[in-house]
Parts: sequence; structure tokens; C-alpha cells
Amino acid sequence: MIKQLSQRLLGPVTFVLLALTLWLGLWVTPSFEIQGDLARLVYVHPAVAWVAIYVSFGTATIASALYLWRRTRSMLVDRIAHCAMEVSVVFILLTLITGSIWGRPAWGVWWAWDARLTSTAVLGVFALAYLALRRANDDPELRARRSAVLALLAAINVPIIQFSVQWWKTLHQGATVFTTDHGLKIHGIQAWTLLISFLGFTMLFFWLLRARYRLEVLRDERYNASLEEALVQRRREGVR
Amino acid sequence: MPDADVGLDLTPVAAPPSKRRGRRRSIGVVALLAVAVLALLSQGLLHSLNYFETVDQAMHSRGSLGTKTIRLEGIVKPNTINRTATGASFWIKGGGKEVFVSAHGSPPQLFQANIPVVVVGHFTSRTSDTFYGTQIMVKHTASYIAQHPKRVKAPNGSTR
Amino acid sequence: MIRIALLVAAKDLRIERRSRVLLWQVLPFGVMALVLAGLALGPQHAGHSSAGPGLFYLVMLLVALLMINRSQTIESSPGTKASVATLGLDPAGVFLGKALALMVELWLMGIVLLGGSVLLLHTALGGTLSALPSVLVTLAALAAAGALYGALSGGGQGPATLLPVLSFPAFAPLLIAGERSFSAALHGGALWQWWVISLVALAAYVGIGILLYGVLEES
Repeated sequence: MIKQLSQRLLGPVTFVLLALTLWLGLWVTPSFEIQGDLARLVYVHPAVAWVAIYVSFGTATIASALYLWRRTRSMLVDRIAHCAMEVSVVFILLTLITGSIWGRPAWGVWWAWDARLTSTAVLGVFALAYLALRRANDDPELRARRSAVLALLAAINVPIIQFSVQWWKTLHQGATVFTTDHGLKIHGIQAWTLLISFLGFTMLFFWLLRARYRLEVLRDERYNASLEEALVQRRREGVR
Repeated sequence: MPDADVGLDLTPVAAPPSKRRGRRRSIGVVALLAVAVLALLSQGLLHSLNYFETVDQAMHSRGSLGTKTIRLEGIVKPNTINRTATGASFWIKGGGKEVFVSAHGSPPQLFQANIPVVVVGHFTSRTSDTFYGTQIMVKHTASYIAQHPKRVKAPNGSTR
Repeated sequence: MIRIALLVAAKDLRIERRSRVLLWQVLPFGVMALVLAGLALGPQHAGHSSAGPGLFYLVMLLVALLMINRSQTIESSPGTKASVATLGLDPAGVFLGKALALMVELWLMGIVLLGGSVLLLHTALGGTLSALPSVLVTLAALAAAGALYGALSGGGQGPATLLPVLSFPAFAPLLIAGERSFSAALHGGALWQWWVISLVALAAYVGIGILLYGVLEES
């Protein structure tokens, strides 16, 4: 019952959190020193990046690792990995787009080949490669195994993205929340709005994942049903 | 037909040593990889992936830089910005050193005094300390401070 | 593992020696690509451009993709996979053998194309020679990565088109390291640092291949 309730509430809660983020971010919070209203993108871009790199890609990586470990190997975790990776592609694209929109007026360029931007783009390419690999194999087990290996290889990029602003001098600024000295660089209602945006986009990920997973289950059921039907027809032909 | 089971020993045997060797090999490989990568990072061997040179770094390696195109990072000195028809000129400072920048092309929206900038360009000659820039990028900080945070409010709640 | 690696490498190189695909197909392709790169630079820039190292590695990447595909095609021939499984060969040894064979082939191609870059892209002879060790290390890392990604892409639909998509994110850092070390050898700079980076990449891909190749090939 709790599971059904939480599934029913997922959509409305996501909607409320995102609507709250929009309202607070555009109308309630004050503008910023130096960047003015431009920095209101702080309520979108970091949250989208968080979901893309850690929540979504992280889910795909963990599910892939679980698939490769024999004790937890199942088509359920493979489906979760696939669906999470698809959602990750969307969020990585949004990260790059929102970052570009912010970067043009703030930095003066749409794109820079600095460590963080480049490694994020590489992660996006890895995610697309994962989806391409899945389409290239019909055997479900072979497909699941190879995709899982690729996901783990791609996950090496995640700490590079995270620590790139600390290891190297980059154009992209450093952390605002998870700083090395554990000090927050955003305060008051702006910090709360940032938190709500993180929650909202994380909920959005789970909502999208659930929808995509259900679609995948239906697709598999339809495939199995059509296969069964085809087999029955072939048997009938054989009997005649 | 003779009994097929006669003479067969069906007691279970222990796993072959190759499985244990495989596990040891995996652990060894992972440990070696971790050591190699940590060594690489701790020795700062990847500093060549830095996006820019700071002013003091550039001045220190002035001889080897020559007129090669680099990205130079520094903070814009106040009261030195001079906007021209073709761009802007200003002084940037960093690590106790200063460089005069003559940049072609309009600076970005956030360009102002006391802001970190990254200028793409080159020194005008091997001995000159003037930097000719073809592109200016602003490197803003990760701090987000509300505009006028200490502004006083009137009793009715309004601000000016 | 080493014995199996040497057996597999010898087998692949023997097949290559008999079929001469490298000599009559891949090498002409590599040389033509280098010529096209020189044409694309144009006579104005060909002698003065610092794009030589980058173009060399771009051509090597295209050549490597062809050779990795070829290496996987050998494994996909009828009965090969079943024979390898039946013989119970250590997958780590098979991986090392494939990587070793690819490495030798890439080294041969690399040496020829380095000569080509001196002639066609006008990279300085002295600098090119001093870049040779770093080129060999980078190509070795490319071979190790290629053997792994070749196994990932092999056997499915359209492996020839899938391989570039899968391997690009992995090859990109190797290309960067290779280009920077070649440039440093030509124009001065921190050559040894990029050397070390390529060595670490080689060690990483060899390690990862030893760990994961068996998972890819199990049935």
C-alpha cells in the first residue's frame, strides 16, 4: 500500500517541487551581485548536472555492476540500467545546453575546452555509445553483459568530472555547495531554493525512470507475446 | 549392456586453483591501477591539462613562452580599463605580477574591474610584457551573493 | 597467461602475414589519409602549421579502427569462438595476445606514417625521431584499448560502425596525450609528463582488459 501511495504521489510531488523552484527562482529570490539575474540559472543548471552525472548515471552504473555480479544478475537490473542511461542522456544534454546558455553571457563563450566541460561531453558520448551498443545486439544476455561493462568503463569519467575543478585550473568555477572547506557559498532563501531545485529534479529523474521502465516492461511483454504467437502459427502450419 | 556406473568415482572435487589465482590476479590488477593513477595525480603530472596560465606563471616562464598563443588568467586592476573602438586595454594582476593587455574584440557582459578574466592571445614579442588578446573570457567565482544584502528596509518593508 | 598471450599474438600476426591486409589495404589507406591531410592544410600552411602531430594521430586513429575491426573479424570467423571456449584458454591471455598483435601492427604503421608526416606534413626530422618513443607508448595504449573495445563491439549488428561510436570517448584522451607529447618533442615542452600519462593509460587498459575481457567473452 505504501508502495502504491508513493508511486501515486511521485508525479504530484515532482510537479510541486519544480513549480516551487520556478516561482522562487524567478520571482522571490533576489538577483545576484555581479551576475544579476543571469545567475538565476543556478537554480536549474547545477541540479540538472547533479541528476545527469550522479543520480542517473550513478543508477545505471550501480545496476550494471549488480548485473555483472552473478548473485544479483537479473533482467530487472539490466532494464533499470538501460532506462537510467536513457534518462541520463537527456539530462547530460540539458546540462550542456543550460551551461552553454549561462556561459555565453557570463564567460563570453558558448563553449570552452576546459577539463570539466570536456569530460562532461565525453560522458555524454559514452552514454550515447551505451545506447548504440544495446541496439546492436539481439541476444538479451550478451547485450546486458556488454552494456554493463561499457557502463563501468564510462563511470571512470565521473570522478574526473567531479574533481576536475580542483585538480586543474579551469574556466568553470569550483563547487558552491560541496566545497573543500565545507563552507557554503550561497545563503538564505537562495540556498533553500537551490536545495528545492535539487530535490525537484531528482524526483523528476525517478518519475521519468519509472515511466521509462514501465514502457520497457510493456515492450518486452509485447515482444514475448508476438514471439509466442509466431511460434503457435508455425506449429499450426507444421500440423497441416 | 554392462553397468555404466561401475568404476566411476563421483565424489565432488575442490575448485581448481585457477579460480583462486584469478581472484588474486584481479585484486593485484586493481591495486596496481589505483596506485598508478594516484601517483599520477599526486605528482601533479596532469597540470599540463590546465586551461590557462596565471600571470605569475606566465612571467616566470616568459622565455619559453615567447610569442606562443596561450590563455592568461588574472584579475582586472581597477581604474585601468580603457575601452577602444576595436576592443579594450587594461592591466591584469596575479601572484604579485602585472601584465598590460591590449585586447581586440568587445569584452563579455560581465567584464569589469576586480573580476578574474582569461585572455586568449600572445605576448607581442619575446621581451615585451604587453599581451595582445584576441578573446576575453570572464571567470566568475562560485560564490552567489544577493545584491545589496545589507540594504536597510523602511518600516513599511520597501527598499530603494 | 603470458604463454597463451604469445600464442594468440603469434596466430594473429601469422594470419596477417599470410593475408597481407595490412600491407595492401591499411597502409595505402593511411598514406592516402596523410596526403589528404596535407592537401587540406594547403600549400600555405603545410610547411608551417603546428597541426602535424594532431593530423598524424587522427590518421593513426582511422588506421587503428580498421585494424581493430580486422582483429575482431578474425575472432568472429566460423568456429573460432567455439574452439577458443572448448580449449579453455585464459581470457586474460587471449586479450593480451590480441592487444600484443595489434600493438605490433600499429607500431609498424606508426613508423611508416611518421616518415610520411616528415615528408608530407613537414614535421622536423629530429623532433619526429625524438617523439618516436612516446608515439610507440601511445600506440601501445591504443592497441590495448582497441582490443577491449573491439571485443565490446564484435559480433553484433554493424560492428564496423559501432566500434568508432564506442571507442571515441576512450581514444580521445590517448589522442590528446599523444599529440601533446609529439608537439612537445617538436617545439619543446614537458615531453616526459605526457610519456608518463600514456604509460599509465597503457597500464590502465591492460589491467581493465585482464579483468573484464573474460566477462565479455563468456557464453
